[in-house]
Amino acid sequence: MSETDNIKRPIIQMHDIHKSYYIGKPNELEILHGIGFNAYEGEFVSIVGESGSGKSTLMNIIGILDRQTSGTYFLEGKDVNQLNDDVRSEIRNKRIGFVFQNFNLLPRANALKNVMMPLVYSEQKPKNRREKAMEMLKLVGMDDRAMHKPNELSGGQKQRVAIARAMINDPAIILADEPTGALDSKTGHMVMDIFHKLHEEQGKTIVLITHSQELANETQRIITLFDGNITSDKGGAL
Amino acid sequence: MFFENIKEALTSIFCNKMRSALTILGIVIGIGAVITITTIGNSIKGTLNTSFNSLGGGSLSVYLEARYPETDEEWATWEYPELTKDDLFSEEMIENLENDLSDVVAGINIQNDLGYGKVSTSYDHYANVNVNGASLSVIENFKLKIKYGRMYTQEDTDLAKTTCIIPDVMAKNYFENENPIGQIINVELDNGKSYKFTVVGVYRYDQSLFGKPDSSVPEKDRINIIFTPYTTINKLADAESEGYSYLDISVNPSLDQSQASETIKEYLLKYYEDNPNWTVYIYNATEDMKIINVVINVITIAISFIAAISLIVGGVGVMNIMLVSITERTKEIGVRMAMGAKKRVIRTQFIIEAIVLCLFGGLVGIAIGIINGFIIGAVAQLFVNQFYPDYAKFIYITINPSLTAVLLSVFFSMLTGVFFGFYPANKAAKMEVIDALRYE
Repeated sequence: MSETDNIKRPIIQMHDIHKSYYIGKPNELEILHGIGFNAYEGEFVSIVGESGSGKSTLMNIIGILDRQTSGTYFLEGKDVNQLNDDVRSEIRNKRIGFVFQNFNLLPRANALKNVMMPLVYSEQKPKNRREKAMEMLKLVGMDDRAMHKPNELSGGQKQRVAIARAMINDPAIILADEPTGALDSKTGHMVMDIFHKLHEEQGKTIVLITHSQELANETQRIITLFDGNITSDKGGAL
Repeated sequence: MFFENIKEALTSIFCNKMRSALTILGIVIGIGAVITITTIGNSIKGTLNTSFNSLGGGSLSVYLEARYPETDEEWATWEYPELTKDDLFSEEMIENLENDLSDVVAGINIQNDLGYGKVSTSYDHYANVNVNGASLSVIENFKLKIKYGRMYTQEDTDLAKTTCIIPDVMAKNYFENENPIGQIINVELDNGKSYKFTVVGVYRYDQSLFGKPDSSVPEKDRINIIFTPYTTINKLADAESEGYSYLDISVNPSLDQSQASETIKEYLLKYYEDNPNWTVYIYNATEDMKIINVVINVITIAISFIAAISLIVGGVGVMNIMLVSITERTKEIGVRMAMGAKKRVIRTQFIIEAIVLCLFGGLVGIAIGIINGFIIGAVAQLFVNQFYPDYAKFIYITINPSLTAVLLSVFFSMLTGVFFGFYPANKAAKMEVIDALRYE
């Protein structure tokens, strides 16, 4: 037990997570074979693995987009597998900020509206939404492009809008799934710089999922996934 | 949230203008057809009623009716009673009726005539005439237009003055450049008697009333109808009026005809309580009109229902496009769910989109239906004017879009949206967030 244990609050607590597909069928397939790790408040964790290692499946479970087959997962102390769809939606809305490889911005809406979208679902007043969204766009340096639609933005700019959207409800964790995967190395670095800034200046807990060892090396803790198992966990507080 | 949904729906509808337009086409046609039909049905009703009234259909026919025996024994020996002078409606009764029920009775339409005759000053300066007596309400119902001078008055009628109105044709041919007003004409009747009348007004000859003039007769030889109070005719003919077996009564148009009919019947029955042979019977033509109205209503509703079937077709079209749209937007749905949209929020969003879409269709359909109604009305009026010019004066085609139908259409188009939007919206809501998000 180190001292940080007493200070840092665990955000993710996973124990023996299994995930299988086609359950009960002849082609039943287990992707995750008992994953267990904790992530603490303010940590910048990368989960690195080659394609097929199960990192996307793991990311879906962490992001409450999918349910594990067995094992327990507590997010901020809540056993999210026990919760109903509405509550899980609410947790995704308020406690998790998603950043995807392919941005997943709504093509018809401008940057500002994309950033405001989660606030619509947390039923905030329209006036507050706008103010807050502008604030977030400023944070990622995109306030001058607020009225632009995604197809008028470059890849790096789109990803910065997506980060602003992820940040808008002040989530417990930011879950970034190959955030630089669709970007060239220069803009990729720019995006990574924003994550570092959020981590250092705002103390955000960030979980970065990537196949790139190089990118993973930028983070303080690296969890390596291989064939559905954690093969190493380096640099963590524990 | 509600306004967001509407905004969102509008954005999505306007992003795909062409597709949205094609989607709502079915609804537009369905609602358009229903509104066209109800507008026309309503207008036919209105037109029939106003035309009917302007043709004098709004008056009551009051008859004397024999009291029929009630039992078979009586029937065996019963003979149709003779109508005597004492049984008739007397002048006094008519006067009392007019005075006592002045707020019900607009006028009693009495016509009589003195016969044909001639007005002349010399061998070749003459006019052929027919002297008619008419109560004021008769002239009113005829819608005779006084070109100049005045109509004879109630006072003229009460005092049986020899005032008269003549047609413009006679004014032109007989008086030529002289002003006929105030002139005294001497009518020599075919039976040899002659009477003097004072001209007080000139009315416009009306073909719809008096028929097209016979073109083979020179204009100056035509028979001119001169109107004078009916009381004057009675007095001149010295036919100390025996009374009437039939009365035509115009009722105050603001009142309900059936009720007015009852009031008048009740009043007149007082005079016949003790009459062993005769009683009063009133025929109210508007009762027939009511039946016609009911028939038109039934027909309108029945055809509307048939037209409304196309709403189902339109609805299925909307459902089809909504299903396509949801498949296209699977990724968007996934993103929204990942960002915290609950299933019911997704469902509401798509149902509202379907409702807005159908409502658009409904409103466009209503506009088209009403415009259709006016076009058809204008064409029908042209048709009447062209082929039935004699009746054109009495047939005003009035277009009344039915407000009930419009409101119901708005309601039903929205209902179509809810009904046909529910299945696609539910399909969207039932998507698993992970499947939708990873959908390519």
